Amino acid sequence: MIKRFIARNAPGYIFLSPWLLGFFLLALGPILASLYLSFTKYDMVSDPRWVGFANYEYMFTRDRRFWKALEVTFTYVALAVPARLIMALSVAMLLDKGLRTIGLYRAIFYLPSLLGASIAIAILWRQLFEQNGVVNQVLAVFGIEGLAWITNPDTSLYTLVILAMWQFGSPMLIFLAGLRGIPRDLYEAAEIDGTPKWRQFTRITLPLLAPVIFFNLVLQTIESFKTFSSAFIISNGTGAPADSLLFFTVYLFNEAFKFFRMGYASALAWVLLLIIGAFTAIAFLTSKYWVHYENERD
Amino acid sequence: MTKLTRRGLLGTAAAGFAASALTGLPAYAQAKTIRHYWWGNPERDKRTFAVIDVFQKANPTIKVSGETIGWGDYWTKMATQTAGRNMADLVQMDYRYLFEYVRRGALKPLDEYVGKSLMIQDFDKGPISGGMVDGKLYALNIGSNSQVIVHNTRVFKEAGIDADLINWTWDDFAKASEQITQKTGGKVKGSDDLSLMIEVFESWTRQNGHEFYDKDGNVAATVDDVASYWQFWEDLRKKDVVRPKEKTVILDIPIVESGVAVGDTAMSHFWSNQLVGIQAAAKDKIGAAMVPHKKGGKPGQFIKPSMFMSLSRDAKDTDAAMAYMNAWVTDPEITKILGLERGIPASPKVRAALQPGLNDVEKLSVAYFDAIQTKVGDLPLPAPKGAGEVRDAFMRIGTDVVLGRAKAKDAATQFVDDAQAIVERAR
Repeated sequence: MIKRFIARNAPGYIFLSPWLLGFFLLALGPILASLYLSFTKYDMVSDPRWVGFANYEYMFTRDRRFWKALEVTFTYVALAVPARLIMALSVAMLLDKGLRTIGLYRAIFYLPSLLGASIAIAILWRQLFEQNGVVNQVLAVFGIEGLAWITNPDTSLYTLVILAMWQFGSPMLIFLAGLRGIPRDLYEAAEIDGTPKWRQFTRITLPLLAPVIFFNLVLQTIESFKTFSSAFIISNGTGAPADSLLFFTVYLFNEAFKFFRMGYASALAWVLLLIIGAFTAIAFLTSKYWVHYENERD
Repeated sequence: MTKLTRRGLLGTAAAGFAASALTGLPAYAQAKTIRHYWWGNPERDKRTFAVIDVFQKANPTIKVSGETIGWGDYWTKMATQTAGRNMADLVQMDYRYLFEYVRRGALKPLDEYVGKSLMIQDFDKGPISGGMVDGKLYALNIGSNSQVIVHNTRVFKEAGIDADLINWTWDDFAKASEQITQKTGGKVKGSDDLSLMIEVFESWTRQNGHEFYDKDGNVAATVDDVASYWQFWEDLRKKDVVRPKEKTVILDIPIVESGVAVGDTAMSHFWSNQLVGIQAAAKDKIGAAMVPHKKGGKPGQFIKPSMFMSLSRDAKDTDAAMAYMNAWVTDPEITKILGLERGIPASPKVRAALQPGLNDVEKLSVAYFDAIQTKVGDLPLPAPKGAGEVRDAFMRIGTDVVLGRAKAKDAATQFVDDAQAIVERAR
């Protein structure tokens, strides 16, 4: 029994071993430490002091900025994830036409995702959307007077949603692979029956792509909850203006590294983990109603 | 405090590894290396690196590595390094943050070095005592300063502003702003919008007769103080004589983006030791005015120790660090390079030596300093723990008022509540 288990799984674990080593040696300790710290008051200089659930209690009952951070983050996730996935799927379908230079296009479209997490792009974004930025100059050509997108709390979050949309590269690649996996003869049959393109999309492409969509959805949701560097740079690290860019992670960072509340910041981190976990669980639980795998027999 | 923890060891090893990987040299190549960390601007950085060169030439066994960053990121990086037990040996300190860092145990007292390796016995007592916490000296004054309303002298002349800029009132300030905006056809607005400057607000509160914090560290500024301050700027915004709100809500902008440097306003708020830096960035000749007074009010502005140098808990080679610190405030060549850029020195000898070689801006800063001596109030009590966060809250809530999303009165109520909650939570 055990022998069989080893024989079957050993290669997998061997390939996983670099990651597993890293996890056990580098990540697990801090993770457990942060769970402990979340029940303490800890300013990094004096020793942690046990306070029980006080951090969590303060968070849910008295901390207005905690709720504000949740609001900002949820709004962002709700907008950025669908926007990015729609963008990724559209571009993937365009590229799926069997172009000869597809490798080149794939690389070009993937580029923003590679750059997206970088500081340089966040700074570029800030300049694009500034009062005298490129966006407003283009709008001015059409006689539209632009807003101060970044410093206006009503629009600042949307500039980040657009940034997220632009970084569609990695879900696009996965969609592209998924599209390649759909048997061509299904479309041919549909053509012969005279099915319009739109129905081909909703009746063939979407259902057969469902597992891939599901995978991308889960991955992108997790990613979006963790958005940090772009919000941090664009808001000067504060969540400004008027906390409109107070992403959960930015708030967490400020609590930890600006105000020295490591215990409280750890509690925030665990709440974020639970939220992400809950969303992933919901996605998995509902998936049986809309995701069908090809080798499923029912 | 120097107990070697496993985490500390790991951190040092990691930092050392990173450092040697970066430079390609083994980390132990230099016997004595001290790190000096300061917030700066291009002019200050140039002078500080020049000082480091001079010091290293005179002390070939000591290598000084300078680290600099703008004010906006300075405290975040400092906090991170404090947490990682990787603070620079010598750090630049601010009066507002001094007490927080001392109470966290991040700084070492300097008393044992005074008269031995730190020769400051003949320095002015006032500026030196500003660096004391609970009876011990934790921070060496490397310059005093005060707030200043920097103005564009060309625009002031063209607009015919003839107010007495040392004794003027808030009414005079408002009138001048209107006059400038009108005379320049709106091309140059009267002033930057100082709604989010908690330091100016602190002067405003003191003019009303009470401190921002009382002696127990509670918030003593009232809702009326805050509301009237924000309302004052709201009125100027309505008249369109201050910088547009989009530029106001960008927090902690660098000197070069201030109104006077860019040229889109005629007045900006600074600290007197920044005069050298701002003149370097501005096209026109600048002048110095006091923060306006309240008619019949008390003095609000004060002279504060502008910058300190502190010895960090993580300093290993304290002898080398103290030699550097001492040279900073006593060595004739070094003090000459530094000049008045960080503020007015506390050493009478150094001041006397500097006098003949001063340039125009430096003369302006000395003259301004002389002129305000009798107009300022006492140094306020040390700020309680959490003061840095209160500053953030002031800017955050003030932003709502600037953008017209909240009434001055409501926002003021919220700010006073939040500020009190912050200092209570920080205890």
